[in-house]
Amino acid sequence: MSNNNIIINTSKLTKYYGKRLGIEDVDLEVKRGEVFGYLGPNGAGKTTTIRTLLDFIRPTRGSATVFGLDIRQSSVDIHSRVGYLNGELALYNDMTGEDLLKYLGNLRGGLDWQYVKALATRFGCDLPRRIQGLSLGNKQKLGLLQAFMNKPELIILDEPTNGLDPLMQHEFYDLLTENKKEGRTIFLSSHILPEVEKMCDRVGIIRQGKLVTVETIEILKSHSVRKLEIHFTRAVPKEKFNNLPGVRDVVVQDTLLTCNVVGSLDALVKAASQFEVMNIISHEPSLEDIFMTYYNEGKNNVK
Amino acid sequence: MLNNMFLKTLRDQKRSLLYWGIGIIALAIVMALFYPTISKMSAFNQYLNQLPEGLKQMFGSAIVDYTSPAGYFSTELFSFMVPLLLLVFGIGFGANAIAGEEEKGTLGFLLANPVPRWRVLVDKFGVLAVSMVLLGLLFWVGLAISVSAMSIHISLLKLAEATLGAVLLAMVFASLAFFAGSIKGNKNLSLGIASGTGVLTYILNTLGGMVSWLKNYRFISPFYHYMQPDTLNNGLSPLHILVLLALAVIFFALSIPAFNRRDITV
Repeated sequence: MSNNNIIINTSKLTKYYGKRLGIEDVDLEVKRGEVFGYLGPNGAGKTTTIRTLLDFIRPTRGSATVFGLDIRQSSVDIHSRVGYLNGELALYNDMTGEDLLKYLGNLRGGLDWQYVKALATRFGCDLPRRIQGLSLGNKQKLGLLQAFMNKPELIILDEPTNGLDPLMQHEFYDLLTENKKEGRTIFLSSHILPEVEKMCDRVGIIRQGKLVTVETIEILKSHSVRKLEIHFTRAVPKEKFNNLPGVRDVVVQDTLLTCNVVGSLDALVKAASQFEVMNIISHEPSLEDIFMTYYNEGKNNVK
Repeated sequence: MLNNMFLKTLRDQKRSLLYWGIGIIALAIVMALFYPTISKMSAFNQYLNQLPEGLKQMFGSAIVDYTSPAGYFSTELFSFMVPLLLLVFGIGFGANAIAGEEEKGTLGFLLANPVPRWRVLVDKFGVLAVSMVLLGLLFWVGLAISVSAMSIHISLLKLAEATLGAVLLAMVFASLAFFAGSIKGNKNLSLGIASGTGVLTYILNTLGGMVSWLKNYRFISPFYHYMQPDTLNNGLSPLHILVLLALAVIFFALSIPAFNRRDITV
């Protein structure tokens, strides 16, 4: 039976565009009130999943429910409870922002215009201006506004921070947090790992149409390989850094030590503290590194 | 104008309708202005009657009396110019309705709202039909005022009937373009299919008047059902009108399951 706390549920969801693979056997569960990040490189199948959930495209196999409702049978009901921002945002260029938002509000009914105005002020949207003349970032802000303005139960955002400057990204994170506090569920796709780390509770990683893993951010981070550089004042002996838990690929060149660390930095930092440290530089793991970690694990499991 | 999809679509047509309206009224006035001159050239009739049968068919059977008001307006307006203009407008609109929105990338955005797909089709087709009738009406009003002001003896009712015929003829091809856009969201393809069919069926009807073995197939052509009744002289023929109406409705009706079934590209 459908569980009230499962907002999105897909089961073996598969989409082929003719012979080309979109997604294959995606099993996904998004819970009420969480911010779920859908992470993957371009072309991995993020948008395909989202567009299938919204019934724009039809699954080749498998099924999915949103709010426990079948995506094919109840798409109109589902739409009335979902706010959506599309990835390749295209708006009606000949309208003003205000006209567009009012029109979309009318298609749904029950729009609180005061709230829209408050959001517009917050994001610095120039509502009376024609959309044609707006920059990419300003269009994106309008797109975000229309996804949030109806206070829907579920908000699906395809690459929401596209074109936003850092200030607006920050404002957007705040908006996400507020909406989460108010109990809304957010499903967002991204190809930027730090962004997802900042915003999401759980992350699904998709690669070449297949869902590689679903993890909480903590676990994801603990699995991720970080590249570290430690600069010492004097040359250090390499032996002191061999066989530390989680520390791999140690290279010492004079005063510089480089290595890869999985999970906690504790052992490495304690070893390094015996010497005088000038600087520690940590490189955020790239998305590809994390993919490779999970990808290799997946392969090993098969063996 | 932003209350629903119908009004919003109509609003998008505002400017286009204004220009087309002005153009089509101007056409009515200009053609009426030339009539007094033509009516005095009785030699025209003798000349035209010597034309080969096929050419006569192109102008419709009213050509036998070119210098009469009905003959003149049939030949100059209703046999080609008016249907052509309405067809161009209608096919453009029909192809743009779904395929155009899809190519612009706004269709997904629109369908994300709690609006069933059939409703999108109904609203858009509704605006198409209203726009076509409006253009027909503007043309008729322009013509009616002109012929009245110039005391040209022609029945305003028959002019209205002929205009309605032209509107319905254009609706057939507009509806076909709409249908094509619903099957596949490609605007140029829809334009091509509808205009191509228009040209082919026009030729079929014209050649069918000359080539005996083609004669039996003329009924396939919407142009046959539009031209054959010689509406300005004889009034509307219910049967032929029904054929045009049915074609337009069928193409629209088919577009609903076609659009419902398929993936939206953007």
